[in-house]
Amino acid sequence: MNHIFLQILTGLQISALYMLIALGLTLIFGTLGVVNFAHGALFMLGAYFAVEISSQFGFGVAIIAVPILLFIIGIIMERGLIRFFYERPHTDQILVTFGLAIVLGEVMKTIYGANNLPFDIPKWGSGIVRLHEYLPFLEGFVAYPKWRLILIVVSFSTVISLFTLLQFTKFGLIVRAGMRDSQMLAFLGVNITRRFTIVFGIGSVIAAIAGLFGGPITQVEPEVGMHMLIPSFLVVVIGGMGSLPGAVLASLILGMSISFTAEYAALQQIIIYLIAVIILLVRPRGLMGKKGLME
Amino acid sequence: MTKKSDVSKTVSRRSILKAGAVGAAAMSAPMFYARNAWAEKAIGNYPISGDTMMLGFNVPQTGAYADEGADELRAYKLAVKHLNNGGGMLETMTPSKLTGSGVLGKKVDFVTGDTQTNPDAARTSARRMIERDKVIMFGGGSSSSVAIAQQHLAHDLGIVFMAGLTHSNDTTGKDKRRYGFRHFFNAEMTGIALAPIIAKEYGKDRRAFHLTADYSWGHTQHDAMKRATEAQGWTTVNNIMTPLKSTDFSQYLTAILNSDADVVVLNHYGKNMVNSLSQAVEFGMRELQKNGKTMEVVVPLFSRLMAQGAGSSKIQGVLGTTNWNWSLQDAGSQAFVKSFEAEYGFPPSMAAHTCYCQTLLYANACEMAGTFYPPEVIKQLEGFEFDGMGNGKTLYRAEDHQCFKDILVVKGKSPAEKTGEFDLLELVDTTPRETVTYDHKIFGGELGSYEPS
Repeated sequence: MNHIFLQILTGLQISALYMLIALGLTLIFGTLGVVNFAHGALFMLGAYFAVEISSQFGFGVAIIAVPILLFIIGIIMERGLIRFFYERPHTDQILVTFGLAIVLGEVMKTIYGANNLPFDIPKWGSGIVRLHEYLPFLEGFVAYPKWRLILIVVSFSTVISLFTLLQFTKFGLIVRAGMRDSQMLAFLGVNITRRFTIVFGIGSVIAAIAGLFGGPITQVEPEVGMHMLIPSFLVVVIGGMGSLPGAVLASLILGMSISFTAEYAALQQIIIYLIAVIILLVRPRGLMGKKGLME
Repeated sequence: MTKKSDVSKTVSRRSILKAGAVGAAAMSAPMFYARNAWAEKAIGNYPISGDTMMLGFNVPQTGAYADEGADELRAYKLAVKHLNNGGGMLETMTPSKLTGSGVLGKKVDFVTGDTQTNPDAARTSARRMIERDKVIMFGGGSSSSVAIAQQHLAHDLGIVFMAGLTHSNDTTGKDKRRYGFRHFFNAEMTGIALAPIIAKEYGKDRRAFHLTADYSWGHTQHDAMKRATEAQGWTTVNNIMTPLKSTDFSQYLTAILNSDADVVVLNHYGKNMVNSLSQAVEFGMRELQKNGKTMEVVVPLFSRLMAQGAGSSKIQGVLGTTNWNWSLQDAGSQAFVKSFEAEYGFPPSMAAHTCYCQTLLYANACEMAGTFYPPEVIKQLEGFEFDGMGNGKTLYRAEDHQCFKDILVVKGKSPAEKTGEFDLLELVDTTPRETVTYDHKIFGGELGSYEPS
């Protein structure tokens, strides 16, 4: 029992971070139709801001300040650069956002150097949780780092909040309608452009949350955005481009497969790519992708 | 019937050929053995033009071993300062021909490079130093794959490479080269020195799970530890090769928790080790009971820098081996520590120590040879026995260019035991040089010729 429980927990914890990054990616693609390769860089910025702000003012301040900062940066990015590429082919979008990611990475390298910044976990989040004291089905001593459990909770809370926002609010209704047919909404007198800009900002806020809670685990260095982007992009593709439930499902599959193949080093290095190949061969639009989209 | 004249003709031709061969051998033999007997043709960046001897220091300024690289660079700069102005181990090294006013009348200068803890980047950086900056010797580490890549390049281009921190058996084993030298100890010696101590401390009936950095060093370190601990009666349960770039080890640690192992052997170094050890503690491994015993963590290659990175609360009681520690009280170590502290305000690491020694050893070999001509300098280093540089009497073995000296087994101090910020390791045992000396033939490999290939 302990074995499977621990492996599932580790799988969940690996999924949690991919899920957060993939969620922002797929949200932006689903609404704006933009493949945002700079999303990893937004995660990296989130982690750097989190280190900087939490070391100066404490982690509590960082939890509020970092998402606000990233929201503003997201809006500036969308208005200043991305919106000019809405009508352009995906390859152009990928090239420009990839370039932007490199620029942001190099800027951070110039300011902070190429080595990782130490990101101390706040006191309330450090230490271990003795799981066997709470879960009677576990035998003996089973401990898990508290911070990683917090990451899982934060990640799933973010997913639930985002779904609630899109499913149960007027804003969500308009955005979903815009995803179906933005032109029709514009004819009806709805300012869908402004809503989409806000969606880009929300995507950036999710990257900020990932940076805040994932930074201590992934380390904070200029390349971290790129490292996280590739598996997260795979999650989006496997889940189906633009599908939020698809991203959640795919990240769980990838997290679990990494956790359960840990003992087989050679397999573990390729497992996520192997799964991607198989799923895309069988179902080119991804697990929950819309028919005809990126097929 | 053969005519007499024909026979004599045949015999005489053969004798001429034989005589010629013997004569050629006779003429070449003294050339080989006698010092300075070779015609000193241009090799690599020899002869040096101008009055400056240029050295290249190629260290990891980024990547998993960046902390070690930064300290190596500090030591190199100090070595250059001492070579030009005297001080440090120049006062304690024996035998020494170093004067403290340059080398062979030339002022010592240096250029630096970033290996990025990556063999390709290291080769590019080394080539730039050799071709653009005209270095006569280059050195650096860390990471054995990086050192091995540079050593091969050194041999091809005829530039002596004095390796910095590299601990793989391959560096002076299957990948040894005539132009490469290692002062640092290696994985084999770690196994020989550490296994009896951990068997004594934790018992003979132990089950070990290894996590291993997936490249040359990790592989030989795992192999050496496996052999040495199994000889003590331990069982190796499993080994997982982890990519060098890993920062999150949670999935591997979960596999250990799920096994029946009661010892974790972390064949990791630098930030890899800091992360894997910290995370092992986060996963409760230092509090866990397995098979009726407390779970133990072993770090075969330990250093003060890594101990500092992980923090004393996590390293307390962890056993490992180290090449050198700043707390050693011999005159050489103290001279180095004092001058390093005066320069930088904190004590040097073992990475710094080996790089500093290597620079002095090369410079001394040039002085002894009376020339910068690489084959002559190499011959001076081969079989050179010295003292006064820490770890007692040390031999640069001619057959594989590996230094043999006493090996230190250390234990991480608890927060209560440490007396200062840098007082993190306690010396548990010193394994004598004779005990860790092994037959150079066991790892194979060829040094190659004195002239570059």
